[in-house]
Amino acid sequence: MTEEHIVTSFDDELRELNDGLINLGSLAQLALANVERAFKTNDHNLAQETIDADKQINKLALELEEKTFNILAKRQPMASDLRNVFSSVKVSLFLERIGDMCKGVCKRIVKGDLLNAKSPKTIEALVALTKDVQRNLDLVLEDHAQGKADNALNVWRSDIKIDSSYASILTAILDDIKNKPEAIEALVPLFFIARYLERIGDQATNIAEVNHFIVTGEVLTDERKIESEEETIF
Amino acid sequence: MTEIAVNKSLIRCSDVNVYYADQQALFNINLDIKEKEVTSLIGPSGCGKSTFLRCINRMNDVIDICRVEGSVIIDNQDIYDSEVDVVELRSRIGMVFQKPNPFPKSVYDNVAYGPRLHGRILHQSDLDLKVEKSLERAGLWNEVKDRLKEPGTSLSGGQQQRLCIARAIAIDPSVILMDEPCSALDPIATAKIEELIDELKSKYTITIVTHSMQQAARVSQRTAFFHLGKLIEVGDTEKIFRSPDHEQTEAYVTGRYG
Repeated sequence: MTEEHIVTSFDDELRELNDGLINLGSLAQLALANVERAFKTNDHNLAQETIDADKQINKLALELEEKTFNILAKRQPMASDLRNVFSSVKVSLFLERIGDMCKGVCKRIVKGDLLNAKSPKTIEALVALTKDVQRNLDLVLEDHAQGKADNALNVWRSDIKIDSSYASILTAILDDIKNKPEAIEALVPLFFIARYLERIGDQATNIAEVNHFIVTGEVLTDERKIESEEETIF
Repeated sequence: MTEIAVNKSLIRCSDVNVYYADQQALFNINLDIKEKEVTSLIGPSGCGKSTFLRCINRMNDVIDICRVEGSVIIDNQDIYDSEVDVVELRSRIGMVFQKPNPFPKSVYDNVAYGPRLHGRILHQSDLDLKVEKSLERAGLWNEVKDRLKEPGTSLSGGQQQRLCIARAIAIDPSVILMDEPCSALDPIATAKIEELIDELKSKYTITIVTHSMQQAARVSQRTAFFHLGKLIEVGDTEKIFRSPDHEQTEAYVTGRYG
């Protein structure tokens, strides 16, 4: 539905909301890219910058919430507009959480002692996990910006791979702890980092579901949900 | 999505075409109206929704240049059959109009008018009871029980509209047609009518023409969208307002039509 509304100020409000979501998405993508870089290079300054930048994400998410609330009150949107406006609350919330999780990873980088973990393979696996999560986030945000859901199902299903990488990483960290108990303080934060990354993957999946709902009006359902009930728990 | 119990169709309209002189106003309308549900008819001005509503109780008969083709079957009878008694038909199908139109009579006589006309009630006490029950069902009794002898026109707009609804239900219709019943009312009076519609649907089959999409979404279980004399889409109200199938419906309900 590309045609303009009779009330053009409604179009302006929807445009502002969508532009705001694109900005918020970019900030979340930047935070995740920083996570990858800071983690790979153990860059404490970049990690600290990312922690500080989270305030901006929270502020923008709140502004978008306010905009959405006003649109609902003023316009009582229907059909595709209703799906869009309603979904924007969810997307901004998911993006805001991604910001929080990136901040969580960065806090572990700043306070932790990654170099002493001496687990190059685990670090490598975590970087690879970050890249997988980044790819999914990029795909769903691109879809969302274009009002599409082309990648929704793929992202939804590829989250299985992320879950399974996460499970393998947890096992590897446990083995590391058993083999190098002296490095436990450096290794334990890796558990949290893995968990945050896996959760960011879930948020990307959530956005994929929202995209599917916006386009089709239907809630995405798949057998995958049942499989994910058996997630790895430590 | 909420499950909606599927009621049986009370009114079956098949291939309805309506002409005003040479001008065709409705094109092959096929629409079933389900019993004890509220069906909303929506669409831009001139789309034919009111013309369609007026086909259901043959109100178009009073317009000389109007011609109706097709069939409207209510209770297994085509209401356009030549032997149908139109007065009796309209006693089964009440109608409420855009502007409240109480008769220039007392509140009591407005409600008693139909039962008296149809000679259905012989005893005064029965008539009193009928007036009270009808006003109660229309949610007006408590407000007018001490004003029954006052002119109907002395009531507020919202009260007058509920008086008209009481007048319509006093003759025990099975169907109530409402043609933009709230468009002349303030939001509080509108809310009372909407509340009333919700209550009345347990006893009556209601079809309402409305220009307010939100009202259609609030009060009806099914919604039909008309455009340029054609029925574009009909379905569960939730579906029409969440994700309609047809692009024209989408354009209209989102305010992009124009």
